[in-house]
Amino acid sequence: MNGYQGRLLTVDLTTGRIETLPLDLALLRRYLGGSALSAALLYPRLTRGLDPLGPENPLLILNGPLSGTAGPSVGRFTVCAKSPATGLWAESNCGGFFGPELRFAGYDGLLITGKAPTPAYLWIHHDHVEIRPAHHLWGQADTYLTQEKIRAEAGEKLARVLCIGVGGESLIPYSLLLCDHGRVAGRTGMGAVMGSKHLKAVAVRGAPGERKIPLAREAEFNRLRSGANLELRNSTTSTVLRETGSSGGAEFFDFMGEMPKRYFTSGVFEGAGRVSGASMAETILSGVSTCHACVIACGRKVKLPGEAEGKGPEYETIVGFGPQLLVDDLAAITRLGRLCDAYGLDTISMSNVIGLAYLLYSEGKVTAAEAGGPLEWGDPSAAERLIHLTLRREGLGEILAQGARALGRHCRAEEEAVQVNNLEVAYHDPRASSGMALVYATSPRGACHNQSDYFMVDLWKDTNYANGELQDPRAGAEKAANVALHQDWRTVHNALVQCFFASVPLATTLSLVNAATGFDYSLDELREVGERAWNLKRAINNRLGLTRANDTLPKALLTPYAEGGSAGLVPDFPAMLSAYYAARGWDEATGRPTRATLLRLGLGDVADDISKIPPQTGWRTD
Amino acid sequence: MATPFPSDVWIKALKDRLNNSAAYAQAAKNWEGDLYFQVDYADRAPALLYVDLWHGQCRDAYAVAGTETAQKAAFRLSATMENFSKVLKSELDPIQAMVTGKIRVQGNMVMMMKNIPAVLEFVRTAQQIETEFLV
Repeated sequence: MNGYQGRLLTVDLTTGRIETLPLDLALLRRYLGGSALSAALLYPRLTRGLDPLGPENPLLILNGPLSGTAGPSVGRFTVCAKSPATGLWAESNCGGFFGPELRFAGYDGLLITGKAPTPAYLWIHHDHVEIRPAHHLWGQADTYLTQEKIRAEAGEKLARVLCIGVGGESLIPYSLLLCDHGRVAGRTGMGAVMGSKHLKAVAVRGAPGERKIPLAREAEFNRLRSGANLELRNSTTSTVLRETGSSGGAEFFDFMGEMPKRYFTSGVFEGAGRVSGASMAETILSGVSTCHACVIACGRKVKLPGEAEGKGPEYETIVGFGPQLLVDDLAAITRLGRLCDAYGLDTISMSNVIGLAYLLYSEGKVTAAEAGGPLEWGDPSAAERLIHLTLRREGLGEILAQGARALGRHCRAEEEAVQVNNLEVAYHDPRASSGMALVYATSPRGACHNQSDYFMVDLWKDTNYANGELQDPRAGAEKAANVALHQDWRTVHNALVQCFFASVPLATTLSLVNAATGFDYSLDELREVGERAWNLKRAINNRLGLTRANDTLPKALLTPYAEGGSAGLVPDFPAMLSAYYAARGWDEATGRPTRATLLRLGLGDVADDISKIPPQTGWRTD
Repeated sequence: MATPFPSDVWIKALKDRLNNSAAYAQAAKNWEGDLYFQVDYADRAPALLYVDLWHGQCRDAYAVAGTETAQKAAFRLSATMENFSKVLKSELDPIQAMVTGKIRVQGNMVMMMKNIPAVLEFVRTAQQIETEFLV
């Protein structure tokens, strides 16, 4: 099957049953792979009554059709389930080398169900698949050491290990999966889902000599990917990413007022420039790292005085533990990021929760007694203390472990929690890039910048996936259709699963997909794969209880800054949302795709299903 | 009267404007580095303009007679006349021009990313020159 190994590995941890499941070619053509195909495969299983931390919640790890090839930055894989954080559709994708290795072992993906009676890990060595005990790993704090121990046990130095930390074992709803040199599937709590199954890790090694993916037109593909990689490697954006990492744009985003500070309440922080990727390059940077076959190399290696070389923080971690807490100490930020990685916690959510705690402390709504000490802006040691409290679920840590909204509610200040549908907001402020207002409000997994990085259109002016048209970064309803288009294309990238940093011309992407799969899509047919999946995920969420009332923004993001590059500005959100619904073909009253929209996308059965849902009056995870 | 681009008189006009701009002096207070504008042609050798920028001031500016004698500079911005003219006429966003490769940037990207406000103010100052584009 061109572009695919053509089968999933399925593992039921309750019964120990291990099987393979063939993939249907027609389904692949409609959804390609990644989170799009995951939505189609999981659709029947994701019901409103399904407990995200119960054994029935399916955990699906899935590649795309280019994974394992040397195509431009296509080595990522996706992890999907019902989210314990949001109660909605969950997806989180991850780089490194694990995904391609799973393909080299002969599987496009891995579907895990059930719950092991005792802690276990899965060892996949080509056709040999084994559930192994993990008592000795459970409670192991360091996700890196977990990888090393499993590799040693397997006797395969090059085995790739995807594992959870104590955060996942403790079922923290923002715990993550980590592999390789600190590549993570961070958002929506996939670590907790894996932990709920008593599954510590999945380790995989393909057999030697079988490390090729079948391609429809291999020579054409190789010619195309060589050209695409050369162009990508030499592009300005790639050069910036290689030299300064994902936080290379920090000064720029700060200048534009797009980087939030002091937990989304301030537009200025004098120390922001001291914690950027450029500052990192001038101070502690010791090397770079890559994912499989990637020519960009955005990963950072840093060396702190007296410590071993290790992973350097990326943009979200820097902003979350830096300007959001008014911390300007890059070494301290690096250590906080590493602590979260070791424990298996998502740095975006964890730093959001801590930022809210600092804010509430400054307002007298959290006391030093319950926080184990003062929470002063600019003090990174207090953040470290809160991470430990969270892991132990000790005192206030029990509340922190439930997320920002829970903390806000605990302090009778729920409206101060900056989240959408219980997923804490990433650090790209819609007060500077209005497109992000729609992105956060309508993302199928809660407030997320990886369903559409529209700030790259609004501010970085990359219109490759947005109609080639530049609009005012602060424009309103007139932007809605372009945001929807960008989401469609980014859903295609999340199907491939291709890194957003690889800004490859659409025509090239189309040619690569067609040469790999032989599907010979037109450009619009390829885009429609994205639109179809976007609407299917919406329908999944509708079935889980989501309505138009969920398409909201937190109060802070609709409150103008007094100073900074976006001072005085807020997105015209109600008008934008209505225009977006019109562009999408969604019903204003119910928040669901209309029957006509679903029929146009070949989703007639889904239209029948959601027509049977009684009108909802609102939704909360609790 | 319009000033021809690329030319010695144009780059010296830019020097004067930069040195009289409080906004540029503030935005570029940390900038250290000289640069070439390289205008690429299909049918002849490129034209080079040199500016030496230092902490918000332009210390030197001149048109280079030939590429052979050009000294090494911290940055080189290369583009066709069409793309330079679009940026200088505000028809093409300078960030977009760099991101899309319509203006190619060679040099220290760490320095560039730390000083994006200086880059934008530099372009804004250049756009204020009434320019005649030589073909």
